[in-house]
Amino acid sequence: MSLKRAALLLLLGGAIVPAIAQQITLPVGTPPAADKTSADAPVRPKVDESALRYFASQGDTRRLEAEIARLRALYPDWSPPADLFGPQTDPDLERMWKLYADGKLSDVRSAIAARQASDPSWQPPPELIARVTESENRRRLINASDAQQWSTVLRMATETPGLLTCSNVDILWRVAEAFGKTNQVQRALDAYTYLLTNCNDAAERLATVQKAMPMLDDAQLKQLLALERKDPQGQPEFAPIRDELIRRRMGRAAENPEYVVAPDDLTRMEALARAGDTPGDPLLLGWYLFRHDESSRALDWFKLALDRKGGAKAAEGYVLALNSLGRALEAEPIAFEWRDAAPENGKAYLDVVISLLTASPPPVLAETVLSRFSPVVMRDKYVPGAQALGWYAYNTGQLVVSQAWFQTALSWDPNDEPSSYGLALTYWRLNDAARLNALVQNWRGRSERIVALVDPQLRATLEARNLQGQINRSTNPLVAAALRVTPPPADGNLPAAGLGYAPVPAQAGVQPMPGQPAATHQFQPIPAQTAAPQQFQPVPTQSATAPQFQPVPTQAAPTQLAPARPAQPILVQTAPAQPAGRNYAQPVNYQGAAPAPRPRAASSGGASRGGGGAAALSRGWRLMELNRPIEAVTAFDEALRTGSGKVAEEAAYGKALAYMRKGMTNQAQVAAIEAPQSPRRAMQLTADILAQRAYEFYKDQRYVEALISLDERARITPEQQDLMMLRGWSYFNIRDYQSAERIFRALAAQGNTDAMNGVSEIEFARRLYKRE
Amino acid sequence: MRPGRFAGLLALAATLLLGAGAQPPLKAQPMANPVPMEAWNAYMSRFVAENGRVIDTANGDISHSEGQGYGMLLAFLAGDRGNFERIWSFTRTELMIRDDGLAAWRWDPNATPHVTDVNAASDGDILISYALGRAGAAWNNPGYTEAARKIARALGSKLVVKSGDRLVLLPGVQGFSADDRKDGPILNLSYWIFEAFPVLSQLAPETDWTKLGVSGLELLTIARLGPAQLPPDWIAAPARGPVTIAEGFPPVFGYNSLRISLYLLRAGIADAQILGNFQRNWRADGGGGPAIVDIPTGRVVNQLTEPGYRILGASLACALEGTAIPQELRHFEPTLYYPSTLFLLSWALLVEKYPRCL
Repeated sequence: MSLKRAALLLLLGGAIVPAIAQQITLPVGTPPAADKTSADAPVRPKVDESALRYFASQGDTRRLEAEIARLRALYPDWSPPADLFGPQTDPDLERMWKLYADGKLSDVRSAIAARQASDPSWQPPPELIARVTESENRRRLINASDAQQWSTVLRMATETPGLLTCSNVDILWRVAEAFGKTNQVQRALDAYTYLLTNCNDAAERLATVQKAMPMLDDAQLKQLLALERKDPQGQPEFAPIRDELIRRRMGRAAENPEYVVAPDDLTRMEALARAGDTPGDPLLLGWYLFRHDESSRALDWFKLALDRKGGAKAAEGYVLALNSLGRALEAEPIAFEWRDAAPENGKAYLDVVISLLTASPPPVLAETVLSRFSPVVMRDKYVPGAQALGWYAYNTGQLVVSQAWFQTALSWDPNDEPSSYGLALTYWRLNDAARLNALVQNWRGRSERIVALVDPQLRATLEARNLQGQINRSTNPLVAAALRVTPPPADGNLPAAGLGYAPVPAQAGVQPMPGQPAATHQFQPIPAQTAAPQQFQPVPTQSATAPQFQPVPTQAAPTQLAPARPAQPILVQTAPAQPAGRNYAQPVNYQGAAPAPRPRAASSGGASRGGGGAAALSRGWRLMELNRPIEAVTAFDEALRTGSGKVAEEAAYGKALAYMRKGMTNQAQVAAIEAPQSPRRAMQLTADILAQRAYEFYKDQRYVEALISLDERARITPEQQDLMMLRGWSYFNIRDYQSAERIFRALAAQGNTDAMNGVSEIEFARRLYKRE
Repeated sequence: MRPGRFAGLLALAATLLLGAGAQPPLKAQPMANPVPMEAWNAYMSRFVAENGRVIDTANGDISHSEGQGYGMLLAFLAGDRGNFERIWSFTRTELMIRDDGLAAWRWDPNATPHVTDVNAASDGDILISYALGRAGAAWNNPGYTEAARKIARALGSKLVVKSGDRLVLLPGVQGFSADDRKDGPILNLSYWIFEAFPVLSQLAPETDWTKLGVSGLELLTIARLGPAQLPPDWIAAPARGPVTIAEGFPPVFGYNSLRISLYLLRAGIADAQILGNFQRNWRADGGGGPAIVDIPTGRVVNQLTEPGYRILGASLACALEGTAIPQELRHFEPTLYYPSTLFLLSWALLVEKYPRCL
């Protein structure tokens, strides 16, 4: 034992002041090897027996025995004096020992100094001084350790090696910690190793491993664990902290996804997390699984952690997991609730709302989502937030609002290209050529996609380059949508096979569409008998009065307009106050405030439902039924002038539909934003208008602009087969055969015969070019 | 700066050096105890706990390095070796825990751990080192001298710093230097315990304590601010730029600065220019004793009436004019820790240097 202690002391001394190492090995008893030389030593040390006598006089047999054992270890030839229990000769000294035994160290010091003052020849027993010094240094070491003064801790340990024994395990722990905190981890490991090799108290041994865990790396900890013993029942003594070790491994792997824990560990942690009632284990599991791409499982654990009052970290994990599962809408309220708990929670909230705002197609957001996000954006002048609000407004057809938000973003950061792009698209949609051109001028040479909005040549180049995969898709889904060549597959809603798309004449450059520029008819690349259960028919059929054309939702409409949830589905986009002075207030409950279905209202003999606005609105719808759209526009205008709120919204909608029916898409676009629309309807209207514009551009042989229209439309709603065909022919006409062919082949594979025609047209055109 | 002030400064420097020579050398024999044992015992029983902790009774019974240093100095001046050791034992065990060898400044009996601010306060370290140095020499205790030396060296290397042409004493290790504050260094002129510098010079000669003293006197002549022309407790003294009231500290001539006259007199620096200014203010405002004065307005915030404060004015009158100490101030009765400490230090000053006023 004393040899081992000497070894640790050497090591301690060497760690701090190499010169001291020798000093501190000296007082540690007489190792066997030194015994031979002790015979040669002329003077034997005088054994200080004062403590012994004091303990004997007090009848303190426990301390007496300990002192005898200590002195025997120090001086092997010594034996206790015979008169140990005789009368004390020095009552003053006896009092000092008593003060020491009571832990009154300052009193002992004071008594010694006072006696020396009155009796300069008196010397205190060295043993008393050593004991008091050791006790003082013990306190000083603890005080220094509590104050994180690690050098002082190590200095005290070096000056007082007698402290470093198994009876002072706390001191050993503090010394090990001081080593660890002063970048001497190997020495910390040595101290822990010393302890586990020599000390036998089961609880202290276990606690030693726990203390060591945060100090050591895995390999070092493994060395310590190798010193594990069996308890009297034959069980490994560190079993109770095996779970701790699993937590440690999992915690590390949660921070660094490159690490994976063993399946057994995972199973054990799951059992522990379920069995416990604290949030710690579920939280740990949540983060581990989340960082290892198992958001779905992680979500359950974060939920449990949150239920168990896991606080900000649990909320953060829960929000991030939901978001990564594409369930940002569910995440938003929790994210908002916790946004101020920690910086990470604030970030999670912004991420969630931005991913909601920029989702494609845009979801219907409750008013609260936007009304509480906007102030956060305004307060922080958060450019990505303003941009995202811009995109959301844009994608839901609220062009005035999107213009305001993009302008707001640009007022904070004039060089934010995505916001400028959004603003440019907004101007494009508003047909505001003057401002679009001014913006393009500003970005010439800096943003191809902005310039491409007014430069068909560049646009075609971009399309081609995009096809070759040279453009890095941005993570912004909207930017990606702008560059999209092939729209999302039209899933199950494909029109029945065999419905005709007009065959295309063979010659390249020749208008491939059946040329029916009839003034009274809509441009109609699609046959009339579309049976697709689409939500809407973008293009009227042969005649505007064809029964398929349903500008006004009938029975099914209310369910379309109002989501299944009873909660208010209304989006009210709150624009920043300064740019748009318009009032976007909406009725809270769309369904409740909605007038009776319009066809019925119309057929009810024009019974007006209130003021002049409502009457005019009713008249407008009836005129629409009679297919007199121009007169309907006048009626709707009157409704807009005299009505407000719901009436105005309906009137603007009707007016837009009326212009659409006349093929006047630009006017329709303007009308659509005369009063705010519910988001779902605004998107529908926008999609309609864009489809219409695409056809018109195509008709005018402005194929690139047709593609832009289609792209813009594809942002907000999936592209059905007829529009995909239009897209294919547009590519064909700008001789992007590769893109065209991909679309035609995809549709042909689903049995679309027109698409098959398209494929053969391309093959023909290619042969033609080869001959050239 | 007017040429006259330069001359004054040189004279002050000479005084300071002279003072250094006048101090008893470390090996000198102790003189008769300037703090009477009876008064010291009264102080002890009121402010020093059994474990050697000096208790600041006006501040929630906390302790600090300054109080421990005052306690040790008074114990030395009373010739009480037993209680000197008692107070030092607590100081060493509880406060001398910093890695750099300085004392942690604040100890709270109601907190765990008790040290609630591990930063150093240089006046406390100076007092402790000075008391140890004098005790080590007077009582022939090499242990005290060695401990004094370690603290003096740590002070010299950590808290005595160059600031332009000056050598200044930082009040603490963290938060006061020119690196820590834009208007730094922030200084407290009452931390210059001039009487200690000659002793510290012997303990830690690698630091120019004389120059530190000269800088202190120079700053005392510069830092006479406001209508009252008194030095604020805390000043901002950038190397280049004027001395001003330190931002974030009370803009007063307060409990810190009021002991400056005592420190000057104890060091034997009876400079009429600096001391006369204190005296004029204290006379004008209230019977010759100090008051807390708002520097920007020069108004008295609080007139101090305890004997421990009034004796500061009486000592000034004695030193400058030979006025006898009034009878009512010739009797010590403990009040609060701080004025009681100032009373005994003033009393020791009068016994040692101005017995004619008693």
